[in-house]
Amino acid sequence: MKAPSWFAGPIGGALVVALLAAFVVPGMAGDYGIEFATTLVLWIALVQSWVILSGYTGYVSLGHAAFVGAGAYVFILTWGAVPFWFGLVAAGFTSGLLALIVGGPCLRVRGPYFVILTLGVAEFVKYAVINIEASLGKFGRLMIGTPEPVDIYRMAVGLAAIAFVMALVARYSRFGVGLRAIRENEVAAEMTGIRVRWLKVGAFGLSALVPGVVGALMICRTGYFEPLQMFSPQLSLTIITMCVAGGSDNPWGPLIGALFLNILSELLWDSAPELYTVILGVVLVFVVLRMPEGIYGTAVKRLARRSRKAVPGETTP
Amino acid sequence: MGTKNRKITRRTVLAGAAATGASFAIHRRARAVEPVKIGFTMPKTGYLGVACPVAYQAYELWRDQVNAAGGLKIAGSEPRPIEFISYDDQSEPSKTVQIYQKMITQDKVDLLLSPYGTPFHLALGPVAERHKFPIVGSTSNSTLLRDLGVKYMWAGQQAPDVYAPEMVKFMQSVGIDSASMLTLQLPASLEFKKFLTPELEKAGIRLDANDEYPNSITDMTAMVGSVKAAGSKAVLGLSYPLDSALYVKTAREMKIDVPMQLLFIGPALPFFSQQYTGADLEGLMTIGEWSPSQTAWPKAKPFYDAYMAKWNEKPDYLDSVISYASCEILEQAVAKVGLDHEKLREVISTDTFDTIKGPIKFDGNDNVATKPGLLQVQNGELEIVWPKEIATATFKPKQGWS
Repeated sequence: MKAPSWFAGPIGGALVVALLAAFVVPGMAGDYGIEFATTLVLWIALVQSWVILSGYTGYVSLGHAAFVGAGAYVFILTWGAVPFWFGLVAAGFTSGLLALIVGGPCLRVRGPYFVILTLGVAEFVKYAVINIEASLGKFGRLMIGTPEPVDIYRMAVGLAAIAFVMALVARYSRFGVGLRAIRENEVAAEMTGIRVRWLKVGAFGLSALVPGVVGALMICRTGYFEPLQMFSPQLSLTIITMCVAGGSDNPWGPLIGALFLNILSELLWDSAPELYTVILGVVLVFVVLRMPEGIYGTAVKRLARRSRKAVPGETTP
Repeated sequence: MGTKNRKITRRTVLAGAAATGASFAIHRRARAVEPVKIGFTMPKTGYLGVACPVAYQAYELWRDQVNAAGGLKIAGSEPRPIEFISYDDQSEPSKTVQIYQKMITQDKVDLLLSPYGTPFHLALGPVAERHKFPIVGSTSNSTLLRDLGVKYMWAGQQAPDVYAPEMVKFMQSVGIDSASMLTLQLPASLEFKKFLTPELEKAGIRLDANDEYPNSITDMTAMVGSVKAAGSKAVLGLSYPLDSALYVKTAREMKIDVPMQLLFIGPALPFFSQQYTGADLEGLMTIGEWSPSQTAWPKAKPFYDAYMAKWNEKPDYLDSVISYASCEILEQAVAKVGLDHEKLREVISTDTFDTIKGPIKFDGNDNVATKPGLLQVQNGELEIVWPKEIATATFKPKQGWS
């Protein structure tokens, strides 16, 4: 499929927005505003990376927690021993490599089996790290001297922009067409000559690069690594929630889902943390029942119906 | 939900005006004596939700007592009332970090108290360093802050490398020569195990069953079964409140007949003595070195009485006590040097503080004035059985279950 004529627009737009976000927001927001913005853009980076495999192929992965945790672990192991940037890159590539290794066997199954398998892999990696740490006599690691919050924020913005562009390029490239063909009918895709297995494993590896770096930036923020926290399955579930809420057939849906849930969380977490989870549940039920294509997909459909104009990019999963 | 059109009557307008006037008056008065804002988080929800009341109830008691006495004494200025700004960290250390940063940068708190639990303290170490904001620790037990050389945070409880040898000395003193160890896979328990294992070996105490389990555990039958099969003279449960309760339930069902049964965190908590009573609770041991009946600390009994009067339950002899003591340290430091964070850091690092658990003095991050100890439930009360210098009772082997 040829990329739409407006293809270059979103990439350029993403870069402009990223530059604005990186340099304008710190001047306007206070310290806490920067903290919130960092959380937000890290979630945006995560959902964009998730959509490359799970959104486009329909293979719903609960493995992102493993990739975030693995990246964080590699980063803290190399902290002080290698240059900062090298640690970040190593975190990303380690997670990517982990995905390539586990992707081969995991992607032989599909549907709920794949979901459970990725959850199992994430739990396995978590307890492996706990035991490795215990055998090393380490029970949580601390680091001080990490970059300033505003610098971490700028790095997170850069990462989110990269993740967005990756998701966009993957969506409209031959690679993305292959992935979406797998989602529509894997057997038919294979029959037409698409190298299904390689595409799936490649997408899995690609989708794990960004979470590794996110893990590294997360521990830069806190200065504290503890496996139970960094490999929490809740992280994977939150990503799925954001993608379901926003829509996961293209990069815009997860972006909207991440914005929506982060802002909702920010408004409610201190006044009513329990209410937040209740509202989240209600929103999810509503979205699944009434907006199966997510907020973005539904909005685009309605706008298209109203204006009777062509919609750029399909939205039906 | 429908909305009703409300009529704006003269009465409504007058009431509004009166309320506005009153709020201005209150505001003016409040401005006259600006409260000292003290921030902290507590895991009111999540896996530590059941345990944390013992800490924040101690904080609230301290605040009420100080306010009733005219406010917090501040060097160089008038006493000011204390206002708490607290949040639920949902038992997530990352949330704790986020909230403390919010309290420092957005809420602009004057002082900070510590959160509940070791991982939460550890996560805060880098935050305290980054913002140069002193935080007196309370319910944490780790060597990590010391290893990192953190300058703005102090540990209230003794680190496991100090605690473990004392525990082994006690075991030797009562003739225990074998033990089984059950360890929760959380940092504090695992770190304790790291230091306890070689001490047991050094003392010639045989380690029989030696298992670890995740914090999601719901069935301990197999592990407790292996303890029973081993026939050890001690069970060392390096556990947290919920799994401590699960151990008691399982040990009672399996009739574990072992003289020394120690649970890391649990038996001193009020919920524990509500859930288990009589012979089930009797003889259980836990870590801690405080008792209201220890007359060497004149402030101990008044604290116990005040806590009972306010909350109608006993304080936790470990966590409530150290949480209250951390407030006392902050109070005395502020009375001496005011609210300047750098001066507070200096005075907390060097002074000796008079608290409900006796004098506390820090060397680096560690409290070096308090010797770690062990408590045992005897006749329904927790008694200090180690160290001997402050013991309020002698050890009695656990005698069965109800």
